Amino acid sequence: MEPSSGTDDPAGSFHVIDGDRPLDWEAVYRENIASIYRLLYYKVGNQPDAEDLTSQVFLDALPRLRSGASRGEIHMYLRATARTVLATHWQRRLGVQVTTIDENIGSPEAPEPPADPLPRIRRILSRLPANYRRVLELRFLERQSVNETAAQMGISAGNARVVQHRALQRAFELGQEMVS
Amino acid sequence: MSRRERRISRWIDDLIRDRKPRRLRGAQQEKDVLAAAVEMRSASAGAGLPDPRFVESLRQRIARETQGEVARAPRLSRRTLLASGGLAAATAAAGLILGERFASAPAPPGELTPEGGRWVAVADVAEVPAGTAKMFDNGSVRGLVVNNAGTFAALSAVCTHQGCLLRLNADAKRLDCPCHRAAFAWDGSVLFKQMPDALPSLPRLAARVNEHKIEVLAV
Repeated sequence: MEPSSGTDDPAGSFHVIDGDRPLDWEAVYRENIASIYRLLYYKVGNQPDAEDLTSQVFLDALPRLRSGASRGEIHMYLRATARTVLATHWQRRLGVQVTTIDENIGSPEAPEPPADPLPRIRRILSRLPANYRRVLELRFLERQSVNETAAQMGISAGNARVVQHRALQRAFELGQEMVS
Repeated sequence: MSRRERRISRWIDDLIRDRKPRRLRGAQQEKDVLAAAVEMRSASAGAGLPDPRFVESLRQRIARETQGEVARAPRLSRRTLLASGGLAAATAAAGLILGERFASAPAPPGELTPEGGRWVAVADVAEVPAGTAKMFDNGSVRGLVVNNAGTFAALSAVCTHQGCLLRLNADAKRLDCPCHRAAFAWDGSVLFKQMPDALPSLPRLAARVNEHKIEVLAV
């Protein structure tokens, strides 16, 4: 299966497999597990997938790393591996790249993503029409079911799903506008 | 609400309940909606924090599944390199592809010349300035010679995935596989790959300079 273009070059030209001393893989793991998990969680939005993909990244990358690489290089190599693992995940599950990890992520040109995504999400929510904001708050922040959300909003469950769909579409557009 | 929208909605239900969302095909048009749902999820309490039980279980799994590879320090002596490279040449010529485990096999006693092996000139020294590489194909071995600041090394240029012939990418200093979007560094290590399976490094070939010729041990 061919992934879409631009998603298959995880390692770029990093040269982190050099060196002939043993890698202190436990130290590498301890140092990077939280950030790689967080990166992937923000890209898949659920714990089981985030755990699966994080596992794939470390199992794939650690045996290839050698101690000759710097901490920064190792971190970027893990991120690059995560980029490929994520692309493969979406390709297999949906056949479309829902989210991606920036090719140059972590580089000086592309700073690290914000550690706390909440402020951006709050900004997006604040710009939505009231019923759109309400449905997303109930569903995603308060994690209420569709039926509970519908009851709170005084609409049918089917209508709540439709409003949720439109709210997410608008939220995406607002997010894009905020980036640009 | 259309059937399609209901399927999307159920996918989002899975996400919000922190379950593995089901496979979903034909969702190209709703990609943006799904992306927004994923982003919204990162606002929930505790999002992005790994479960300590997961962190520990993965650590144990790595130790169990890759300890042999990550803990091993294949400090290869010249002798070992020469020996394994010679064997690599012989085996590659026989149509077999070697995995990287081969390089860390115990060194045979003495410097090994594979039976029937001989030094074959593959390039003039002047053709491969420092920092460059040159492909060669002597009929039995297709490979690459690299000039690392005056020291010459050689490796097989046959992909260890399905045996496709690699192409020299001089600008990026790598070997690209035309079949499955994989690439190797000029030391044989894997730079990136598309396939989920492990991709072994390229076998190294024993190389030497003899009277202004770069020679590779081949059969």
